[in-house]
Amino acid sequence: MTATTGQVDQAPPVTRRRPRVRAIEGQEVALIGVTGLLWLVLSLATDTFLTSGNLQNILFTVAPIALIGIGMTAVIVTAGIDVSVGSQAAVVMVVIALLVRDAGFAFLPALAVAVVSGLVLGALNGLLVAYGGIHPIIVTFGTLNIYRFVALQIFGSEQVAGVPGAFAPIGGGAEGRVFGVPVAWWLTLVLAAGMWCYMRFWATGRHLYAVGGDAFAARLAGVRVRRRQISAYVLTGACVGLAACVLIGSGGLVQQNVGAGLELRVIAAVVIGGTSIIGGRGTVLGTLLGALLVGTVTSAVTLLSWPTELTQLFIGGFILVAVGVDLLRERRRSAR
Amino acid sequence: MRVRRSITAAVAVALAGVVALSGCSQKNPDAAAGGGGGAKRVSVAFVPKLQGIPYFEAMNTGGQRAAQELGIDWIYRGSTTADPGAQTEIVNSLIQQRVNVLVVAPNDPDSMAPVLQEARDAGIHVMTSDTDAPGSVREAFVNQATADGVGTALTDALLGAMGGSGKYAIVSCGQTAANLNSWIEVQRKVTAEKYPNAEIVDVVYAGEDEAQSVAMAKDLMNAHPDLTGLVGECTASAPGVAKAVTEAGKVGQVFTVGLGTPQSMKQYLDNGSSSAAILWDVEQLGYLTAWAGKQLAAGTPLQPTNNVSSALPAVKWTDSDKQLLLGNPLRITKDNVDQYKY
Repeated sequence: MTATTGQVDQAPPVTRRRPRVRAIEGQEVALIGVTGLLWLVLSLATDTFLTSGNLQNILFTVAPIALIGIGMTAVIVTAGIDVSVGSQAAVVMVVIALLVRDAGFAFLPALAVAVVSGLVLGALNGLLVAYGGIHPIIVTFGTLNIYRFVALQIFGSEQVAGVPGAFAPIGGGAEGRVFGVPVAWWLTLVLAAGMWCYMRFWATGRHLYAVGGDAFAARLAGVRVRRRQISAYVLTGACVGLAACVLIGSGGLVQQNVGAGLELRVIAAVVIGGTSIIGGRGTVLGTLLGALLVGTVTSAVTLLSWPTELTQLFIGGFILVAVGVDLLRERRRSAR
Repeated sequence: MRVRRSITAAVAVALAGVVALSGCSQKNPDAAAGGGGGAKRVSVAFVPKLQGIPYFEAMNTGGQRAAQELGIDWIYRGSTTADPGAQTEIVNSLIQQRVNVLVVAPNDPDSMAPVLQEARDAGIHVMTSDTDAPGSVREAFVNQATADGVGTALTDALLGAMGGSGKYAIVSCGQTAANLNSWIEVQRKVTAEKYPNAEIVDVVYAGEDEAQSVAMAKDLMNAHPDLTGLVGECTASAPGVAKAVTEAGKVGQVFTVGLGTPQSMKQYLDNGSSSAAILWDVEQLGYLTAWAGKQLAAGTPLQPTNNVSSALPAVKWTDSDKQLLLGNPLRITKDNVDQYKY
């Protein structure tokens, strides 16, 4: 950063004061309130919600969405988007399913392959976004199709059936739980906490916000814009790799359509979590809460024997409210 | 700088295009064989809902075997996405190729009807197989099983395992899937009439998504602690419900059956979480489709009962709705699952 200050000395000096950010933001408080209220009502209204089986299922189902959401939050904060995560997951899942089933890979080697292949797919997205000069939604829309093609090529003309339970330690069964909580959820919590600290306290983490707020100004201020963009997509790819292992879990069937629509569920969680879709604002904590809210509602609809399609109505409503609130705040800010 | 950037962009787009195109063209090796050539052999083209899933690949295997035995050309061409538009394009290109018989398993029966009319106008015999296009000009529909057959087989298999009574729930897939909904209708009816002590407590829809059906099956077990049965209504949710029971540690307490392909159900049939999979012999369905195509092209009228092959000695034909029925559904258990390689 010091190297470039000579050229931009008319710009205001970088403030020494720690930026005044509240530990927890407005939308997060609202989300904690809504989710907490929902849990309370469900616990009182049914005798099936507040059971270990149900809570374990919610946390486990939410984990892959939240995991990818960690990377996606960084991407969207940089004013980007990655709609290819579903296809990335398909590529990773077919690769590791075949390795586990046909080559007898154990848990850790397969996990490593998953994360590395996710990294590669994410890096390709990042390079195209940073150096291609094409809008991220177009780039990743392209790679959505290309990665799906790659996955289908690897599938050949067969789905992968009879995958053994190599990933059972992070799967949905009893062996995938520690202290009664799914390991997949512990993993999500640890990564989310790390990312939350990084985006709040590390300089390069703060730079993600600068890139999303105004990439041009960020470059003038000495932020390595391309490097930050690439890092966000690479991180998302790695998260997809982990989520793919969770999704395979105790094994079974991996179908060609696997991961289809996953991107929309992840982006929904991020947006409901208060991350601004135009970039520059958002937190991993919000995403975690957004994913939890969506997971609770999805599960509650079945628990209450309501028609399944109501889930879509609720999630749609949450997205519109979240984006509406964000736009109102933005308008108020620019009016000032 | 700006110029270089746009060149990079152009190259990237071009590369993406090349990859996508090579993907399309590579998938249809049979097409050339069927299109060219001046041979007088009858050509029967089958367009599945989508290519690359084991179900339709097994149909293709049966169709190819029939083609060899019956001396016809069998063309198998489908899209890699279950997209009505992509399917229409493939059908149009087959019309251009002037195949003798065109068989479609339509993704969207309504939008397929006018395309079938075009084929008919071009002098091509048209059929449907696996999924019908009611109200279209198709001359025959090869029906794998009746709704009564599937619905009854699913109900009997599940209640056999549940001891004839108890609460059960259904994890279905697409909410608008007409065939799945018609099976569920029959399951409701059979359960009410034949098993007065059994009850369907809920029907949920997980899309064609295995992970989602696992989650919803667990939700159902949590919502109804006294649940003793689950049905997976499609090839995604059949292994899904069994996986949920396995993971919840409720093998032997909650019984499942489903409409699943044999190899995807094998591990659950073996561990006891799935009592039976109901399906039909998909290869025979492909065989029958090719056979029916040959009869149409030759103008041979179908009989009320047809001797197709040694495996299909009495296939029923109903002239009023022009349906050819494969037969009774197949019940796949841990004892016979290894006979089926798909």
